[in-house]
Amino acid sequence: MKRVFKKIKEKVQTLKKKITLRSKKSKIKKRKTEFMQEIFPTETKVEETKYYTPPFMERYPKVEQLPASYGQDRLVLQTRDPWWVHAYWELTPATCEKVKSELKEIFFQAKKVLRVYDITNIIFDGTNAHRYFDVEINDYANNWYIDVGGPGRSWCVDLGLKLPDNRFITLIRSNVVHTPLDGPSWITDEEWMVPEEVFARLYGMGVGLGLSSPVGKGWQEEIKKKIWQPLASGALASMVSPVKKELKRERKFWLVVNTELIVYGATEPDATVYVQGKQIPLRPDGTFSLRFALPDGKQVIPVKGVSADKLEERTITPIVTKETR
Amino acid sequence: MYKGYLCLVLHGHLPFVHHPECDYFLEENWLYEAITETYIPLILMMERLVNEAIDFRLTMSLTPTLISMLKNPLLQERYLRHINKLIELCHKEIERTRWQPQFQRLALMYLDRFLICRETFERYKRDLVSAFKSLQEKGVLEIIASCATHGYIPLMEVCPASSRAQIKVGVSVYEETFGKKPKGFWLPECGYHPGDDYILKECGIKYFFTEIHGILHGSPRPKYGVYAPVYCKSGVACFGRDWESAKQVWSSIEGYPGDYWYREFYRDIGYDLDFDYIKPYIHPDGIRINTGIKYYRITGSEDKQPYEPEKALEKAAEHAGNFMFNRERQIEYLYDFLKKKPIVVAPYDAELFGHWWFEGVDWLNYLIRKIKFDQKIFTLTTASEYLAENPRNQVITPSLSSWGWKGYNEMWLQGANDWIYPHLHKASERMTELVKLYPNESNGLIKRALNQALRELLLAQSSDWAFIMGTGTHTSYAVRRIKEHILRFTTLYEQIKSHSIDPRWLAEIETKDNIFPNIDYRVHQ
Repeated sequence: MKRVFKKIKEKVQTLKKKITLRSKKSKIKKRKTEFMQEIFPTETKVEETKYYTPPFMERYPKVEQLPASYGQDRLVLQTRDPWWVHAYWELTPATCEKVKSELKEIFFQAKKVLRVYDITNIIFDGTNAHRYFDVEINDYANNWYIDVGGPGRSWCVDLGLKLPDNRFITLIRSNVVHTPLDGPSWITDEEWMVPEEVFARLYGMGVGLGLSSPVGKGWQEEIKKKIWQPLASGALASMVSPVKKELKRERKFWLVVNTELIVYGATEPDATVYVQGKQIPLRPDGTFSLRFALPDGKQVIPVKGVSADKLEERTITPIVTKETR
Repeated sequence: MYKGYLCLVLHGHLPFVHHPECDYFLEENWLYEAITETYIPLILMMERLVNEAIDFRLTMSLTPTLISMLKNPLLQERYLRHINKLIELCHKEIERTRWQPQFQRLALMYLDRFLICRETFERYKRDLVSAFKSLQEKGVLEIIASCATHGYIPLMEVCPASSRAQIKVGVSVYEETFGKKPKGFWLPECGYHPGDDYILKECGIKYFFTEIHGILHGSPRPKYGVYAPVYCKSGVACFGRDWESAKQVWSSIEGYPGDYWYREFYRDIGYDLDFDYIKPYIHPDGIRINTGIKYYRITGSEDKQPYEPEKALEKAAEHAGNFMFNRERQIEYLYDFLKKKPIVVAPYDAELFGHWWFEGVDWLNYLIRKIKFDQKIFTLTTASEYLAENPRNQVITPSLSSWGWKGYNEMWLQGANDWIYPHLHKASERMTELVKLYPNESNGLIKRALNQALRELLLAQSSDWAFIMGTGTHTSYAVRRIKEHILRFTTLYEQIKSHSIDPRWLAEIETKDNIFPNIDYRVHQ
């Protein structure tokens, strides 16, 4: 019974995760401003063909499951991209019990949250963050994608409990991660000074806009727009290439018919046999068989056998006509 | 006087797939196909260029997993079996297509190719790494090192000991294999995380490559964009990829490999022909697989037309000319604009050439020859030659980046594969713990177990498994591999800590996961 319950719990958990993921994915699509959209799918696809495996049922015996937990409080943060970080955690029952016994009934009114601190350029002591925000999580989740929405900043996360009186109790604190910039740095180098227009040109060329890329005021926004537009209008249709089409065969009925012809026979094992003038190998018992792709039209197939002493010769000529309607 | 440089980089990598316990193992075909379609054609192309005294420069990374497999006697034996089967099939195909000359000549073409592959393989005494090595010694090819098992370094931020082990083991495999120190390093998936360069520095690496925005979004602003390398604070040089040359090959819209005259990858006789006939050449369980014999061209419609090698070759030459022309214009412009000789860095997945893009090696061959004879604007170079000529470069901190989908970590960190990180990080932490517990183990058995534990951890870290899960199709093998290596690692960890190492089991997994014979577990710190 317990196991069944646990299973259901797990199901719910993965379902919940999937739902949150899905909604988050669509969100990121909207805000994406990257420039390599067009080439990445192809690259990924080519890399995929390296690991090509045909579609079929599981061939492998199931391996043992990995442990669901390691018995250690732990919260790990990883950067996904300039806007998102991923957190996973394990909260041990012991820690949970401890807090429960301390908080008594308030525990059950508390909300489990991830408190996300922006700690760019500071040594974080738990109180001095630039700002923070809370992400409410459910009891079953053990990982979360967090929309920090701040490229080029540093982040730290607490998994904790938010009490009805707004107090916050930290259960586990994460490592610190940095999100990369989503555009060029504003810092320039005195020794390697680069004028704005020159850099704009280099940037535009770098992201593949060639000489048509904007260099004037607001070039960064212009470039973002330019890179963005073909995607928005084409709704990813631009990624469809002749090759791509093959990969995702649209569901439609199809039928292929080919024909082959098998010519077989037997003679003395030491005889020589020619088919259409070309000598063919015999099996040790003197039998032979040949298999031909049969195109439309008429095939005249003289099969000539010659005895070992070359005194006797026999020719049989099947004629086959194939037509396709 | 040349106005700039082009640096072509081919990244050669396959994950370690080695199953002595099975007589036939499907995923081992990844290696056999790459040998036939990519590695041998590349070797032959470079050999011909050398024989004709055509000077050129090419950079290639050969990952430690790939090197290990190419040098593995069992896999070598199995490759021979594989190519022999293909040769046998070709002979049958030549007979079968007797009344279809448009296909028969293709069967002959494949037979010819396969025979040459076998001949080359035997000529190098089955050791293709030695072929690459001798090309490096001739000064035309610069081979660069890479991580031990293609571990994706940006997602090892919380376990830096593993980043270090990945890089250090990679460098030692390089030294053992090529008898010298590597100058350059290929960060798997171009995955760079600021600070990783310090580990490269420790290993004596001079340069590595990043994706475009690794440089363009670096700080302070790069004065020359991606058209000159920068130095990281560690002093290691970083070369950014050029987007235009990447796009010309990769773009799904205008990329060369999609040309209608090129060979169609997805029409293979393994799927097309009658089951009884093709059965001996597919999976022993009767599962249809690619054989590598493909008779059609992309065509541009569902009604695929027979492949015409001459037309395809003409196209490859035309595309090489187009690529060169575009580089000439690009480099001319940049030279005037920057008042400096630009370097255009064009890295590609090596297996793109020949395997996915069947004519890719011909394209490369034409490109190299044309660059030599048909123009005077730019010259081929390697990153180390460029640095020798241009030692003064700006210092910046490149930005977190990768060449994967969306340009950051998402390919390897998404709903389909994020479950692996708690296990990988925990195992890494435990490995560090073991190294601390046994800082200088001399007992043979314990030392063997420690070394094997590190092998299992490294194998679990291959970015390939997360990548395959991320693509969402046929993920069972990848899932199995991660689980198996983590489980083996965990068992070893527990046995070592409880002083109960099972020597028979240890010997068994040493045979299965027999990569890196000279590994020293102490690099994991």
